[in-house]
Formats: sequence, structure tokens, C-alpha cells
Amino acid sequence: MPKCKISEAHVIDYVIGELDHTEAAEFRYHLTTCNHCIRHVNVLKHVLQLVDSAEAEIAPQAIVPTNLESKLYRRLAEEPIQKPSVHSRFTDFIARLGLILQIQKPAVVGLLAVVAIAITLLIGNPFDNETTESVDARIEQYHHQGIQRSMEDVIRNKHLRPSDEWNTVSQLNRVKDQAKGTDWAVLANEHLKGVNSKL
Amino acid sequence: MDKMIDDEMLVTQFKSGIQKAFDELMKRYERRIFSYLLRSVRNYEDAEELTLEVFFKAYRALGSWEPKAKFSTWLYTIASNLSIDYHRSKSRHPVFIYEDENVIEKRLVANDISSNPEKQLEDQERGEIIRAAVDKLSAKQKEVFMLTRYEGLQIKEVAETLGMAEGTVKIHLHRAIKKLQTILQPLWENNEI
Ligand SMILES: [Zn+2]
Repeated sequence: MPKCKISEAHVIDYVIGELDHTEAAEFRYHLTTCNHCIRHVNVLKHVLQLVDSAEAEIAPQAIVPTNLESKLYRRLAEEPIQKPSVHSRFTDFIARLGLILQIQKPAVVGLLAVVAIAITLLIGNPFDNETTESVDARIEQYHHQGIQRSMEDVIRNKHLRPSDEWNTVSQLNRVKDQAKGTDWAVLANEHLKGVNSKL
Repeated sequence: MDKMIDDEMLVTQFKSGIQKAFDELMKRYERRIFSYLLRSVRNYEDAEELTLEVFFKAYRALGSWEPKAKFSTWLYTIASNLSIDYHRSKSRHPVFIYEDENVIEKRLVANDISSNPEKQLEDQERGEIIRAAVDKLSAKQKEVFMLTRYEGLQIKEVAETLGMAEGTVKIHLHRAIKKLQTILQPLWENNEI
């Protein structure tokens, strides 16, 4: 049988549904008269059928690993966001806190004390490099690191855009929400009071 | 969390400090990313490890991610880069799927239902031969084939995922299918599969 002038790529595109509506209709019409293309289409469909069923065997829905989430959080807890040690992150945090507090000097001393207490309560002695023992403790620790990051964001934004107090208030409210039940919430609240008193 | 919230909304929530938004994103995509990686690396344990790595990287980078493409496309980009690195680092033939206890159990259940153990074995061998043919595709051919065929990505999305022109994606896809035909057709014509 003489080879048909229709390209192989065109036949493949037809089989995988990549032809547009008109092209597909034209090709279907062509199939009514061309045995070469009919055979080609059937072979390709069979190839894809075989591969589909072989590939379907190996990824059954039911065997997706369990507890991926807790594994992820454990890993995040093991490798905190910033490389520096807890100690340098602590001093960095205090330093940044100091920056914004320049605007609210009277609160400095009190807040620094709250921060120090909070950090000590939450993640243990910040100068101690000991890793946490249990998985739960790590996840807990991670949660606190998340809160700390949000707090740092508030501080950063407040420093960059000191006039945008509404934004600061809403961010602080979110931190309060995120940190519900922890001393971070107290810290956020202290902060909030400070901002609100200026509004 | 509400199913109606779209991915991009969840990303925004995550950026504003709502950790739960990431959990929801993970819930939405862990199965897809895992199956994709399992097909890519053909090894249960490694696929699990890589899936974790995808979400780990995504978590770290999401804060500074600017949505130029869909969130899902971005996840596949991370996954496909990891899978390419994986194959590069293990320049050996892919092994067939790791027989996790769950898999064995599933197979036992399946065997119970069908009382034809010979046919079971035949099907299993057949599947392995066919997957070996898929593994003979070049890395790019296989990626493009898998992403369009089993992950439901459009050519345009695959192009974004792999950082290729759409035309290049199509060329890889055509070559992949043609190569599968070249390998598989003689096998079924000789009744080997
Ligand atoms: Zn023809």
C-alpha cells in the first residue's frame, strides 16, 4: 500500500487529542478512505492502552505514604528556616525588635523582658544548642518558630512602613490568632496596645 | 478548609502567616506528586523521600514565590527537577517498584479475588516489560509523556514546568510515543506481551 502523505506527528496528535476540532474532523474524514492511517491509529491506540494499564498498576491510590505532613514538619523542625544558630537568631530578633521600638521608647524595657521570657519558656534556653528530644516537641518547636517568623514580619513591615499602622494592627491580630494559647499571643497583645494607643 | 478556596488564595493565606493553608495545599497535591515521582523513579521509598523533599522546598520557597504560573505547575517543576537530579545521581537502571508491605498485601488481596495465579504472574511480567520500555525513553521524553498523560498537564503547562518551548515539548512527546511503538509493537506481534 502506498504510504499516505499525512505526517506521523499529525496522526499522533489525533490519537492523543491534540488536534483542534476542525483538524480532528478532517482527519476522521480522511480515515474513511485511508487504510494506512487507520492501521497507524489502531497501533498507536494499542501502544497507549498497554502503557496506561502498566502504569496504572504501579501507582494505586491506596498506597500513598501516610503521615507525610508530620514527616514534613519534623524535617522543617530539624532544619530551621535560617541557618544561623538559635543564639544568633535570638540576638538578631532582639536587635530588630529594638529597631521598631525606637518609635516607642517607653515600652522597650518591658517588651524586651517579655520577649526574653517568652523565648525561654517556648524554646528552652536560647543559648543551649541541645536538640529537642521527641518528635512532638520538634513539631511544637517548629510551630513556635513559625510564630516567631510572623512576629519578625510584623517588625520588619513596621520598620519599613512606620506610617501604615492599620497594616501593623491587622498583622498583629493574625499573630495573636496564630499564637493563641502561647506567650507569643501575650507579646503580640502588648505590642498591639502600644500601636493602638497611638492611633 | 473550604474546597472552594483556590490554590492561589491558600498561598496568599500562607504568606500572611496561616500555617494551615500549607497543610491544605499539601493535602491537595501529595497524592499526585507522589504518583508522579513513583512513576518517575520506580521505587516506593525514594518516591516518598522525594515527595517530602518537594513539599519541603515548596514550604521554604513559597514565602517569596510570585505566581507567574499555577501553583500546581510550580510544584511539578520542583518535582521534575528533583527527579532529574535523582536519575543523574543514580546513573543505574531504574529498579522496579519496591515491595512495601502494603503493596504485597494489596497483591495478596488481588490474588484472592482472581483464582488464576498463572495469569496473575503473566500480567505482572507484562507490566514490567512495558514499564521497562517506558524507562528506555530519554529523561525529557519520559517527563513530557508522564506529565501530559498521567498528570493531566496541558502542553503549555508542561512547557512552563520544564522550561521549554511548547514546540519542543511536542517534539519530545511525539518521539516518546513513536519510540514506545517501536519497542512494543514487535513484542506484541511476537506474542511476548
Ligand atoms: Zn492516511
